[in-house]
Amino acid sequence: MTSQVSDAPAAGAGAAARAADLWKVYGSGEAQVIALRGVNVELERGRFTAIMGPSGSGKSTLMHCLAGLDTATRGQISVGDTALTGLDDGGLTRLRREKVGFIFQQFNLLPTLTAEENILLPLAIAGRKPDPEWYRTVITTVGLADRLTHRPSQLSGGQQQRVACARALVSRPEVIFADEPTGNLDSRSGAEILNFLRRSVTEHGQTIVMVTHDANAASHADRVIFLADGQIVDELTAPTADAVLDRIKRLDAAPVAGAAE
Amino acid sequence: MIKASLRGLLQRKLRLSLALIAIVLSVGFLAGSLVLSDTLNARFGSLFSTINANVAVVVQPKDPQAVDPVRLTDDQLRTLSEVDGVRAVSPDVSAQGVIPFRSDDGEPVSADAMLGFGVDGKDDPLGLVELREGSWPQAADEVTVTAYTAELARVKRGDSLKVYVPVLNEPRTFKVVGVAGYSGGRDSLAGESVVMFQQAYAQETFYGATGRYAGASFAADEGVSDTVLKQRIAEKLPSGFKALTGEESSEEQSAQIGVVFDFIKYILIGFAVLAAVVGVFLIFNTFNIIVAQRTRELALLRALGASWGQVAGSVLLEALVVSVLGATLGLAIGAGLGAWVEHMLIGEFELPSAGIIVKPITVVLAYALGVLVTLIAAFVPAVRASSVPPVAAMRDVVRPDKSLVALSVVGAVLAVPGLALVLTGALADMGGTAFLVLLAGAVLLFVGTLLLSPLLARPLVRGLGALIGRGSAGKLGVRNAVRNPRRTAVTAAAIIIGVTVIGTAATVVQSFKTSLEDIMGDSIGVEVMIQASVTAAPDGRQGFNPKALDQVRAIPGVKEAAAWHFDALNVSVANQPSAFGIFATDVGQASRMFPMDAVDGSIRTLAAQELVVDDNTAETLKLKAGDRTPVVIGGVTRDYTVVGVYKTTPIILGILVGLPAVEDFPGPLAFQGFVSLNEGVDAAPVVAQIEKIMKDYPGVQVGDRQSYVEQATASYDLLLTAVEWLLIVALVIAVLGILNTLLLSIVERTRELGLVRAVGLSRGGLVWMVTVESVLITVFGVALGLALGVGLGAAFTKALITIEFASVIAIPWLDLLQYLAIAVVAGIAAAVLPARIAARLNVLEAISYE
Ligand SMILES: Nc1ncnc2c1ncn2[C@@H]1O[C@H](COP(=O)(O)OP(=O)(O)OP(=O)(O)O)[C@@H](O)[C@H]1O
Ligand SMILES: [Mg+2]
Repeated sequence: MTSQVSDAPAAGAGAAARAADLWKVYGSGEAQVIALRGVNVELERGRFTAIMGPSGSGKSTLMHCLAGLDTATRGQISVGDTALTGLDDGGLTRLRREKVGFIFQQFNLLPTLTAEENILLPLAIAGRKPDPEWYRTVITTVGLADRLTHRPSQLSGGQQQRVACARALVSRPEVIFADEPTGNLDSRSGAEILNFLRRSVTEHGQTIVMVTHDANAASHADRVIFLADGQIVDELTAPTADAVLDRIKRLDAAPVAGAAE
Repeated sequence: MIKASLRGLLQRKLRLSLALIAIVLSVGFLAGSLVLSDTLNARFGSLFSTINANVAVVVQPKDPQAVDPVRLTDDQLRTLSEVDGVRAVSPDVSAQGVIPFRSDDGEPVSADAMLGFGVDGKDDPLGLVELREGSWPQAADEVTVTAYTAELARVKRGDSLKVYVPVLNEPRTFKVVGVAGYSGGRDSLAGESVVMFQQAYAQETFYGATGRYAGASFAADEGVSDTVLKQRIAEKLPSGFKALTGEESSEEQSAQIGVVFDFIKYILIGFAVLAAVVGVFLIFNTFNIIVAQRTRELALLRALGASWGQVAGSVLLEALVVSVLGATLGLAIGAGLGAWVEHMLIGEFELPSAGIIVKPITVVLAYALGVLVTLIAAFVPAVRASSVPPVAAMRDVVRPDKSLVALSVVGAVLAVPGLALVLTGALADMGGTAFLVLLAGAVLLFVGTLLLSPLLARPLVRGLGALIGRGSAGKLGVRNAVRNPRRTAVTAAAIIIGVTVIGTAATVVQSFKTSLEDIMGDSIGVEVMIQASVTAAPDGRQGFNPKALDQVRAIPGVKEAAAWHFDALNVSVANQPSAFGIFATDVGQASRMFPMDAVDGSIRTLAAQELVVDDNTAETLKLKAGDRTPVVIGGVTRDYTVVGVYKTTPIILGILVGLPAVEDFPGPLAFQGFVSLNEGVDAAPVVAQIEKIMKDYPGVQVGDRQSYVEQATASYDLLLTAVEWLLIVALVIAVLGILNTLLLSIVERTRELGLVRAVGLSRGGLVWMVTVESVLITVFGVALGLALGVGLGAAFTKALITIEFASVIAIPWLDLLQYLAIAVVAGIAAAVLPARIAARLNVLEAISYE
């Protein structure tokens, strides 16, 4: 996969985010749930990575931990050259401000702000001014130029999600984390979002990590990581939809090696 | 960020408007009280500056209240008027309580002030008073009156006019020789009546000799400033006098009058404090609710990089905006309230208004109160908002309700010693300190109970719920009410506070009244009482001539009539100022009319320099029968012998001396009269006859025994009314609080409501469910408040009984029931809007509500 590097750090120039021996345990005693059991993963710069796996396998948990939204029970995490382990609330806040962007499945936007205000919110919070050229590029790429003054309630689900993408892109973070960004959308709007994410990786060198259940969506990525029962069980580079489906079938058939460990 | 929080503000209009009302109320009452007193002062200030318009310097006694105030002599007045720079002098010969009678029906006129002057037959050198027709009085039996007085008394020049002259203690008849007015064509300055006598006659009557003046006003020559003239006059001033500039005099006089209206100011401040305290709870709840509802939004902000400080700040900013808005509205409403109350108080007076006065300090205090109250209340919710974890943006994070243990432990730590103190104060015999102990205990117990109320909410509401929570809808309502005991308790706090205060007051007042009625009924031989109305501390210069009682004694059926004199001015016993004053009467006669059991010595008619005293006062002053002690009455100190000590009762207490002591009183008038009747004589006709006799003494009232009880308890009833108004204010705010909580519950439980509707609950059932929740919260507050209030009231009464101020604890069941009923109605009223909103929910939409 060749990537056309423009204004983001070059692909392969180290990891945008990495986790080493990452454990996440919820609750204690009877109610204890081990969501992640010793995950080791490295997400390369300037690439589009998809995370797949059955429901409850720990995809969201892994993403939350990598993004500094949740704290790991054990293990090391770093985003860019910042180690998350031991960061206090202030440090994590700064990390979210400067290095990561988010796209969620739902409730992405503040209902009281217009689309434009939502897009600029992370910059406003950080007290930064947008780079006008980049801002215009983002707006035109997501095709929202004529919808900027609308409120979220006046936008369709697909449009709302595009606003969320624009918001994540506008501050040019080290990594964008997206948790099932197309989960609530019909296939056409979903495809639009995916193309759009793909382009921002290819054209602008943005690093994106996306959780998805949809093999088609995963085929837009450069690399797919398969999770099962809190562990990485497989991975695929330059995937096609068929290859992904095939892999999922195989994983379902053979119970995960080492899951009983 | 700022934009985001301000936008959100508009979206939460309804919720915030409730908090806004709380702020408006408390700021409104505060501003109202300040505006009231400033507006009053301005009105009187303008009056006195009119009076002192041409006056440069005023000379008056340093102590005008003295028993025998110093007077200026002719010589002294001449010396002062010869001071360099004096243009004109107007000497002051005047008395208050000079009351004209109407010419047609013979009734005394009533005016806002009733003055008598002595005038020297020449025009007023200061140009304030102008003769309109006729002449100034030239003989002892002539008077000139102001036009307003002529109108009140329905007389014209040439008529005769009956006038009550206080120092003479009886009415005299004069001939009206002239009518006067004020410069500028005014008939009166402030609705006062003025009778002007010949100067020598007035001096002799008011001051006992001619050639004496109470003081004088001076006008200055061109180019001589008031302060310069004041200094020059001060150098020549006889001892006992002081000199003020006209302006200083105006300020002093208006300040004196302002004091009279202070109590209303304090009632309004009481409202403001209560509204502020209750408002804190309401605002606290509102912001907690808003934060709970915005969890997702706040988490999103956190995920997008907002620091906890920014999130807390956004909540506080919202609070600040609401508080500034509330304070502004409150200030406007308060100004209106102050102006309205001022108008109600003295609008009837013929005193022109000087406009509504809103001083800068009022504005500052209003905003300070509004902002302070809101920020205090919003602080905890803001901290809570800042602790929303960013993950909450993506998944429901159950934030467990904090355990009630810590809160309850603190509550118990306060309440238990509080209760112990209350019991000690009530049961131990500690005299006056009991009340301090009680008060401290009451405050601790009260705060402790408030903190314990979340713990109490569950079992109490369940218990109450068993009574009204019939049917499945009712049961759901009960369950909702106990679901979040912390919220239920905070919501009920406003009611608990209000009801506790009213419960305490009602119990004490009822006990006091019942005690008084008991004693009056049992052991009093008094059938009719005569009472002077007092406008100042009585000292024998207001009231009626005791000789009038001779006529009363002549009425058939009257057994005895006793005159009681009273002096509350500068009296002292055993070298201690006597707070309750000193009574002079025939003590032997008093003991036949009132229960006066001797506990030491004997209770009998006293000779000169003898006294009896009640046992409580005796203990305080360390007196026993046979002691000799110095007594100061009317500025004269004499050694008195303690003849006896009697048992204190709620109706008779204090220091009693014999009638010979009246010689020393500043005035010879009796303050009260008590009349006993022969067996079987009807009181009503006797009252009517005595009224006729007392007609010559304006302001003296006559009534039967029942009216005496009513009068004795009237001031307590007034207090109770004030407290009832407090309760209403608290209830209004409480209703807002309940409304607030219910609205939140409905938003929070939208899906649940949809579900119960989907499985078959009717609209009416839903309404009932919400109503049950509302009424339960209200009744919980009332129950807790009444229990506390009645308990504290009983404790205070017990302490009153210990010092013989009351005899029984009486619980005003009827009043309490009434408060409960009002609260239930309030609870139902609060449920109306939320219940309607709940009932209108579309079932399908509600179920899929995010
Ligand atoms: N706050 C929590 N408390 C307890 N257990 C949790 C919590 N959050 C997640 N889990 C558990 O951790 C495991 C992983 O959850 P996670 O949300 O990461 O799954 P997922 O792979 O994203 O699933 P899905 O595809 O359904 O979104 C699950 O078993 C889940 O029940
Ligand atoms: Mg998930």
